[in-house]
Amino acid sequence: MKTSNAVGGFKYYTGIDSLADIATRSVRVCVLNILGGESSDVTPVGHAWSGGNVVFGTSPGRRGQVLDTPAGPIPVYNNVREGLEAGHRFNCGVVYLPPSAADDGVVELVRVNPDLNKIFIPTEKMSVHDAREIRALAQLNGIDIFGGNSLGVADAWNQVRIGGALGGDSPGDTLKKGSIAVLSNSGGFTTTIAQYLRMAGWGTTTLISSGKDVYIHYAAPEFAHALANDDRSKAAVLYCEPGGYYERDANFTKPVVACVVGRWKSKLTRAVGHAGAMAGGADDAASKERWFMEKFGVDALFTPQNPVVSKKGAVVVNIADIPAALTAVMRANGVQPDFAPEGTMELKPWFISTRGLQLPKELDLAPVEAPEPYREQIAALKQQVGTVLPRQTMKDTSGASQMDAKTQLTSLHGVSMLDAAQYPLEANVSLALLHEPGGVNDQRLINVAIGSGLNLHGHPALAAAQAAREAGNAPNSVLATAASILGPKSQEAARRAVQVLIEQFAAAGLADALDEGFDARGVRIDDTALFTGKEADPRAQAMLAGLQARSAKSVFVRYLQSLPGHPTEDAVLAAITATLAWGPLMRKRISRLTAESLPAWMRLFGALIGASVPAEQHTVDSFCGITMQDILEQRPISEVAFIALLGLPPNPADLFSFQVLVGLLLSNGPGTISAQGAKGAVSADGPEDPSRVQLNKALVGFLTHTGYAHGGNGYEGIAFLIEQFKDAGLQDPGNPDHGIDLHALAHRYVKAYASYKSTKKNTGSLDIQKIPGVNHPVFKDKPVNHDPREVFIAKLFAERGEYNVFHQFYRTLVQALFDAGVSRNVYCVNIDAVIAALLLKMLWQPYRSGAYSAAALETAAFTIFLYPRMIGCAAEIDDHLNRGRNMDTRTPASQCRFVA
Amino acid sequence: MQITGMLHGARLLQLVGFPTAEVLGPDANDDEIKGLIERHKQVFIKPVFRGGVGKKGKAGLLGRVSDLKSALKEKERLYFAEHQHGNQYAKANGVTFEGGVPSEHEIYFSLTDSTEYRAPTMTLTHHGGMDIEELDNTQIARVPFNPLTGLKAFIVANALSELNAPKEIISPLVQHLPNLWDLFHDYGMTTLELNPIRLRADKRGRLTPVACDFKCGFDRDDPRWQRLDLPAHLFAADTSPFEQEINQLRTYQGQSDVYIINDKGTILAPTFGGGANSLVTQMLGDDAIISSDFGGNPPYEKMKSVASICFKHWLKQSNVLFIIGGKSNNTDIFETFRAMADALREHFGQYGPSPLYVVVGRGGPNLVRGMAVLRDTCEALGLPYASFGFDSAMSEVVDYARKVDAWMKAGGRAQIAARLNVNA
Repeated sequence: MKTSNAVGGFKYYTGIDSLADIATRSVRVCVLNILGGESSDVTPVGHAWSGGNVVFGTSPGRRGQVLDTPAGPIPVYNNVREGLEAGHRFNCGVVYLPPSAADDGVVELVRVNPDLNKIFIPTEKMSVHDAREIRALAQLNGIDIFGGNSLGVADAWNQVRIGGALGGDSPGDTLKKGSIAVLSNSGGFTTTIAQYLRMAGWGTTTLISSGKDVYIHYAAPEFAHALANDDRSKAAVLYCEPGGYYERDANFTKPVVACVVGRWKSKLTRAVGHAGAMAGGADDAASKERWFMEKFGVDALFTPQNPVVSKKGAVVVNIADIPAALTAVMRANGVQPDFAPEGTMELKPWFISTRGLQLPKELDLAPVEAPEPYREQIAALKQQVGTVLPRQTMKDTSGASQMDAKTQLTSLHGVSMLDAAQYPLEANVSLALLHEPGGVNDQRLINVAIGSGLNLHGHPALAAAQAAREAGNAPNSVLATAASILGPKSQEAARRAVQVLIEQFAAAGLADALDEGFDARGVRIDDTALFTGKEADPRAQAMLAGLQARSAKSVFVRYLQSLPGHPTEDAVLAAITATLAWGPLMRKRISRLTAESLPAWMRLFGALIGASVPAEQHTVDSFCGITMQDILEQRPISEVAFIALLGLPPNPADLFSFQVLVGLLLSNGPGTISAQGAKGAVSADGPEDPSRVQLNKALVGFLTHTGYAHGGNGYEGIAFLIEQFKDAGLQDPGNPDHGIDLHALAHRYVKAYASYKSTKKNTGSLDIQKIPGVNHPVFKDKPVNHDPREVFIAKLFAERGEYNVFHQFYRTLVQALFDAGVSRNVYCVNIDAVIAALLLKMLWQPYRSGAYSAAALETAAFTIFLYPRMIGCAAEIDDHLNRGRNMDTRTPASQCRFVA
Repeated sequence: MQITGMLHGARLLQLVGFPTAEVLGPDANDDEIKGLIERHKQVFIKPVFRGGVGKKGKAGLLGRVSDLKSALKEKERLYFAEHQHGNQYAKANGVTFEGGVPSEHEIYFSLTDSTEYRAPTMTLTHHGGMDIEELDNTQIARVPFNPLTGLKAFIVANALSELNAPKEIISPLVQHLPNLWDLFHDYGMTTLELNPIRLRADKRGRLTPVACDFKCGFDRDDPRWQRLDLPAHLFAADTSPFEQEINQLRTYQGQSDVYIINDKGTILAPTFGGGANSLVTQMLGDDAIISSDFGGNPPYEKMKSVASICFKHWLKQSNVLFIIGGKSNNTDIFETFRAMADALREHFGQYGPSPLYVVVGRGGPNLVRGMAVLRDTCEALGLPYASFGFDSAMSEVVDYARKVDAWMKAGGRAQIAARLNVNA
C-alpha cells in the first residue's frame, strides 16, 4: 500500500493533512462523462468560479466536442488516456457516471493517471459491491475519495469548487469567506447551512458534502484531522444522519456544532433517501447524539429554550438552531462572528393568499419582497395577463375537445355536447373561445358583435360567395370563398385596439369588466386614432345603440364613449371583446393571444353566416328580411342564424331543435377530418410565431376538410326518410296522431332491403349500401344497442312533450330489421338519424308545399353542420395557436406507405 | 430486503458449495418427514417468516422433535406463528423441517461492511449458538479484508489462530468459509450471517461444517441479487400497495423513494432531497402520511405520475399539501411544480374538490415560474396557499405547515370545505 504520504495515523490511508489543501487553485480536474445531463449544467459554473480548473473531460465517441463555459471551452476526449496523450495533466477526477458505470470510471482514473490523488463521485445509488472495490483500489494507490452521492467540495477562501453543484448556480453569492468548515451528509443542506451561517454572521472556509451511502470515503475522522491543521478554520459544523460509526471515531480539537437528524429512522425497515441512513442499532441517531455530547462534555441538546453548550461544542437536532448554537459556542471561546448578521430566520412568504379565511395571527403573514433577481421576476409576473401555455406537438392532440371512447361523447372545454345542446348558440361561441358558456351579459355582447358582421352588402366577399354558389359549389366551398377574402388586414385595427385596451386596463388594475364604479383615470391611451375618428361612424353608432338597447354592460364601452371624438367600428368591437375576455383572462383560463383574436373571430362568424345565404338577402339595411336595427338591438344570433339557414320564421319548438343540433355538432374530437384541416392550417403557418397565423385561412382549412361524406352526409338520412314517407300522407311530423302505421312502413322497407341484400350477395357483390342512421362501430355488441346520444335526445324531447314521427320511425325500423332476421341484433339508432329527423321535422311542411326543393334541403343539411362545426373548429384553431409547434401535424415519411 | 431461514438459504448456500443441513419445506408429506427423522434422529421445526426476523429461538418459536407425531404437532403450532421484534411484527407462513446435526462445536460467522474499518469484515467465533452480543471481545474475531482479493483461507486461519480455536475445526472452516465471500460479494448482499454452523463428524472423525441457519440482506441498488431467481413475493411484504405503485416508477432519473409513516396522517409532504426528507420527517412526526424523496430532477411525466399516485391514495384525508425541499442544485422547479399542479387539477377534476391548504418551501432553477404555476392552480381551484423561498429557514417553514395543520384540525378544514361547497 502506498502509504508514504499517508497522514494522521489512521487505520486506512488518507492523504489530506489540512482542509486548506483540498480545493486549491492548483488542483487540476478531469471530468468523466462531462457532456452528461447533470455535468453539462453544473461543470461550467464550477469551472468558471474556480478560475478554470477543469483541464479536459471524457465522453465516449464525442472526441473533438467541447463543453462551453463562461471561462472558455473545455475539450472533450473519448477516454482519459487520449486526454493525457494530448498533453493535459490532472490530479483530480470527477466521476459523473450512472451507478452501473461509476466504478469503471474510478478504475480508469486510477489505472491511467499516476498523478491522481483525489476522486469525487457525485453518483447516487451506487451498489455497496462497487463501493467496496473502489475503496480498496483507492487505498492501494493512495488516493482520497469523496462520495458516493456527494455534491463535492467548495472552498470559500480559494474560490474553488470541485465535483458537484455546491453553492448552486452562483457559488460566489452563497459562499462568503469566514472561519467555519462544514461537513455534511446531505448535499443540498451543505449549501443551506452556509446560508444559515451567514444569517448569524459566520462565513465558511471549506465545505464538504460527504454523501450518506454505506461507504463514506471521506468522513468525520479524517475531516477532524484536516480541520485541526487548517489555520483558516476556527470551528466546524457537522450535519449527520444515522448509520455508520464515523463520527464516533473522530477526534475534534476545535469547537464543533453537530446537527444530528433522523431519530425517526429507528422505526424504519427500509432506507429512504440516504442509503446508509438507517439504524442497525448502535449507530442510530440517538447513539450519535450521545457520542457528540460525550465529546463536548454537555449533558443535553442545544435548543433556543435550553441553550446548552461547552467550549468544545454543542449538539442540535434542528438545522435552524445551528447558527445560534455556533455563536454561543464561539462566544464561550471568546470568538466573535466573522461579520455582521445578514438576515433573519423569519418566515418570508413570497406568495400568500388566505382567501379571506379566519386565520390565527401566526399564519396570516404578509407577503415579503424576495431578494433579487427573484423580486424582479415576481414583479414581471404581475404584468402577465392571462395564462401562458407550454408548447408541444399537437398532432392529433387537443386541449379543447376530448372524446370519451366508451360513451363516444365529446366534450368541449369540459362541457359535453349533450349539455352544449341545451345552450343557446351565443353561449357556445363563448364556450369555444372563452372556455366557459358565460352569462347573460356575455350573450348580449356576442349578439351585437356577431350581428354587426352579418350584412355583407356591397362587400366583395358576398359577390365571391354568390359566384361560387352559382357555379354549383357545395356550401363549404361557398363559405371558404368568402373566408379567403376576409384577410388579416381587415382585422388588424380591432386587434391592435384590443391589445392596447388589455395592456392599459390591466396596468390600471381592472378586476371586473362590469364594474360600474371603476375609475378609468389611470388608463393612458396614446394612439387615439385607434379608437376614435373625427367623423361619426354609423356602423359604430348602430352597434352602440344595440348594446344600449340590450342593456349590455361594459367598462370598456363606457370608457370608449368618454373619449373625445367618435368611436370607430373597430374600437367598439374591441371594447366588446375585451369585456368578454376580461374575466377568463383574470382567472387565467385563457391567454392574451386568445383574447386578442376575439375581434377577428366575431367578424368571421358573422361573415360566414352571412355568406351562407344568397346575395339578394343582403340589402343596405336588412339581412334575410330582418332590419339591421332589429338584429343589433333585439334578436339573438341563434334566431337570426335559424332564419338564415332555413328561411323560415322560427317558432319556439323549431328554435329549440335548432339549438340542440348546434350543440350536438360542435365537435367530435380532434380526430375528425374537419378538425384536422383546421389544425393543419395553423400548423402550416407556424403557431410559434402566432402573429403569422391566418385565422381566416384556418377556417378555410376546416371548410375544405368537410364534404359530402363528412358533414354533408346529413342529407343521406333526410333523403332516406323522404323516400319512406313520400306517399304516407304525413302532414305534421310533430303530431302523434298522424294516423300512419309506422310498423307497416318499416316492414315494407325491411322487405325491400332484405331482397336487395340477397340479390347483391347472389351476384357476388360485397358492396352493400348501408342504411343511413342505424348501427354504429362502437355501440353494436349487445342484443339491443343504444347510442347514448340518441337516448339522451329522445328523453330530452319527450320531457318537453314534443313528438317526432321520423325519430319514432327509426326506432321502429331497427326493431323491424331484427324481427325480420335482417340484423343479428337490434341496431342502435345513431346520432345521424337524430339529426336527420330533427331537421326534416322542421322542413317537412315547406318541402311538401314546394317552397323547399330537394337541393335546398341538401344545402340546409350541410350548412346546419357547418355553423356549429365552425365554432368548434375555431376552438381547435385557437387551441393549436396557443399550444402547437410549427409543422407539428406532419406525418414523418417513415410512417407513410406506398402502394403500387 | 432480507431473507431469514433455510428454506431459501439452503439453496443459496448450495450455489457456492457450502454444506447445509437437510431441509424440507412446508409442503413436505408425512413420508418425507418420517424419512428425515430416521436419517437424523433429531429434527428442528422452524416457522418461515418473510424479511429479516431475529430472536426467534428466544421467543420459543423453535420445535425439536424425534418422532412424526410431535413433528406434525409442532408444524401446527408454528405454521402461522406471530412474532414481535423491534418495531416489526411478523407472521409466519409455513415451516421448515431441518435435520439436526450432532456436533461438539457451534460456529458463528458473518460478513458485513464495517464503517469502522471501511472494508468488508468477517466476524467469526467458535463460541457460537449464543447471542454474539453476550460474548467478550477476546472471544470474537472481527477481521476486515481486501474485497479485491476476497476472503482468503489465510484470513480465516489467522482469525482462528488468534481465538485459540480447537485444532480440529480449523481445517474444515479454512476450506469452506472462503466460498461464502463469492455468495456475499457477487450476488449483491450487504450482510450474511450463519449462526450456527455445526461441524459434523464422518465415520473417521473428520469434520465438515454444516450451515444450520441462514440470514442475509440484499443491496437494493445492486442488480446482482436478481441472478438468484428469488421469487418476487419474498420481498413484496416490505411494501404497501402505495409504495409498490411508486416503486414501479423507479429509475435513476430522479428518486422516487417513499415510505408510509402514518396512514392516518394529515400532512401530505412531497419532499425533495435526502436532507430535506430527514428534517421534514423528523419534525412532522406522526402528522406526516409519507416520508419521501422525489428529488434528482425527475422529468415532467414522471413527477406527474408520482404526484397523481400520491393524491389518489392520500389527498382526501390530507389537511395540508406541503411541497418542500432545499435550494435545488439541478431539479427544475418549474417542471416539477407544473407537474404537481397539473396532477392536482386533474385529481380535482376526476374526484371533485377536497379542502386543502397548500404550503410550499423551495429554491432552485426556474423558481418563480414554478411558484407562479402552483399559485395559479391554487387560485383556480379556490385553495389558500403560502409559498416560501429559500430565504426562509426550512425548519420554520415546516413549523408553519404544522401550525396550518393544527388550525385545519381545529375547524379550518370545515371553513375551506364550505367555500368549496363540499363536505369537510
